[in-house]
Amino acid sequence: MSAQAPTGDLVARFGVSPSRRRKDKIARGLILAATIVALIPLMLILYYLLKKGLGAWSSSFFTTDPTGNTFFKNSTIGGIKSAILGTIEMVALASAIAVPIGVAVAVWLVEYGKNSWFAHTVRFFVDVLTGVPSIVFGLFIYIVLVVGTGSSFAGYKGSLALSLLMLPVVIRSAEVILLLVPAGLRESALALGAPRWRVIFSIVLPTALPGMVTGVLLAVARAAGETAPLLFTAASTKNTSYDLSGFMNSLPVQIYSDVTSPTTAVVNRAWGAALTLVVLILLLNLIARLISRRSRLA
Amino acid sequence: MSTVRPTPEVADMEPDGQPELQRAERPAVEAPTPRAGLMPTRHESQRQITKQGLGVRLEQLRAFYGKAEQVKGVDLDFHANEVTAIIGPSGCGKSTMIRCINRMHEEIPGAHAEGRVLLDDLDIYDPQVDVVAVRRAIGMVFQKPNPFPTMSVYDNVASGLRLSGQRGGDLDAKVEEALRGASLWDEVSDRLSEPGAGLSGGQQQRLCIARSLAVGPEVILMDEPCSALDPVATLKIEELIAELKRRVTIVIVTHNMQQAARVADRTAFMLDGGLVEVGPTQEIFTKPNDSRTEEYVTGKFG
Repeated sequence: MSAQAPTGDLVARFGVSPSRRRKDKIARGLILAATIVALIPLMLILYYLLKKGLGAWSSSFFTTDPTGNTFFKNSTIGGIKSAILGTIEMVALASAIAVPIGVAVAVWLVEYGKNSWFAHTVRFFVDVLTGVPSIVFGLFIYIVLVVGTGSSFAGYKGSLALSLLMLPVVIRSAEVILLLVPAGLRESALALGAPRWRVIFSIVLPTALPGMVTGVLLAVARAAGETAPLLFTAASTKNTSYDLSGFMNSLPVQIYSDVTSPTTAVVNRAWGAALTLVVLILLLNLIARLISRRSRLA
Repeated sequence: MSTVRPTPEVADMEPDGQPELQRAERPAVEAPTPRAGLMPTRHESQRQITKQGLGVRLEQLRAFYGKAEQVKGVDLDFHANEVTAIIGPSGCGKSTMIRCINRMHEEIPGAHAEGRVLLDDLDIYDPQVDVVAVRRAIGMVFQKPNPFPTMSVYDNVASGLRLSGQRGGDLDAKVEEALRGASLWDEVSDRLSEPGAGLSGGQQQRLCIARSLAVGPEVILMDEPCSALDPVATLKIEELIAELKRRVTIVIVTHNMQQAARVADRTAFMLDGGLVEVGPTQEIFTKPNDSRTEEYVTGKFG
């Protein structure tokens, strides 16, 4: 059609041909169908979580510990208080370990290591760590700190396993954000006669802060949902504990043990705990989004 | 060039062909010796914002990116309290050269410089010299206005002092003085606590100039400071430059030959990493010694 003389019919030159219109419709339809197929399992998960989980929720669900009395019809099975608190405590300790170290590694990679061979090696191992299955971190801590020391399970050992899991996520997300800080800001700070450490603390980190908080919260959300690293590091217990050197309950482990129970009420408690976990993680994600909106980086 | 407006400073200049290696004349007034100010041990809190500029001399300056030589042995004097413009086509090494004067060039991975850069009579590449002190004495304004995005107008100006560890003294007064020095005070005095990034482009650039001034430098390097600004904002910066040279020495890289003609006492023309010619601005634009300079300023290339 483009071969037509410029004086030719404008509709023929610029109009969309019926066959292209048809192809466009088919392609759009296929993409929409793929989107819907991907959404179906997500919707089903949310549907079942709400349907089964909300049924298990009650005021005592959040305020009582699981009792373990599951074989007698008239006994109460208790709630998930110890699991919620255990998850919060262990994830908080894990964050306190992983975030400073992770941010420090990212600062080193961006500000000092840059393209040196050692920086590339560090990046490579961080990427490898990102792909390591979470149970391997649990196993590592189990062998080193539980079997290796001949001691028992403990909450802080679970935190260490979780922090190993969080570390690569924190490093990579912080690195990406630090790279977004314009080089011109570093240059003008250096040109003012600022020592490099002061440039990092006064200019680079404050500029990158909102973005880094987002990355950190996503890492926290990931750690909060992990079962495998906790199974044989923190184990589980029924009572609420504030002692990180003892056994600790957690939401994922509670779900894991409840769901294998023959008692219907206990399985329902697993649904309630799962919904609680999803809501907690959703809240973290919302906070991350709110903070990233305040970001000053493009 | 019809746009050349000779200024009194230009008329008073030395005749052309002045020997490049001749010692730059030293400013008459100088309370603390400039040399002491560069040594790492001295505390900086006593520095004044208003002071005389210092001359800068390049001796066989060569700058490299890895193995590639970008500045190929430049000898050049920047006279104290004068504006020297550096012109030349893109990629001729203008920016690289001025980044050597406050040792910012070495911040680029793999880059290094050779030769000597004398601030007054101190070689700033001397291993004993503290690079941080060099940058306090020789400020820099960049092509793109880049106020610190997390900071208010006030904090941007104060950051120069805070970042370089200069404490004590009346911070408010210093901030006001720097903002007045950058002809910005009247426009921002009622919104000092607003974000610096909220100002207009031209105001942001003057904020960056105020930020450099607050540290109390003797020399300010400007790397195409107006290339991101509109003509009105450009004019304000140019007026400011004429004002500033009373207290600092200014080196300005520019692509705009009219700008060089308007603001500079002396102009240096660079080509392919080398200095072709330097002299009073009027002479560079009206009767240059080198045919390449003439071709460039008359628009035959570049």
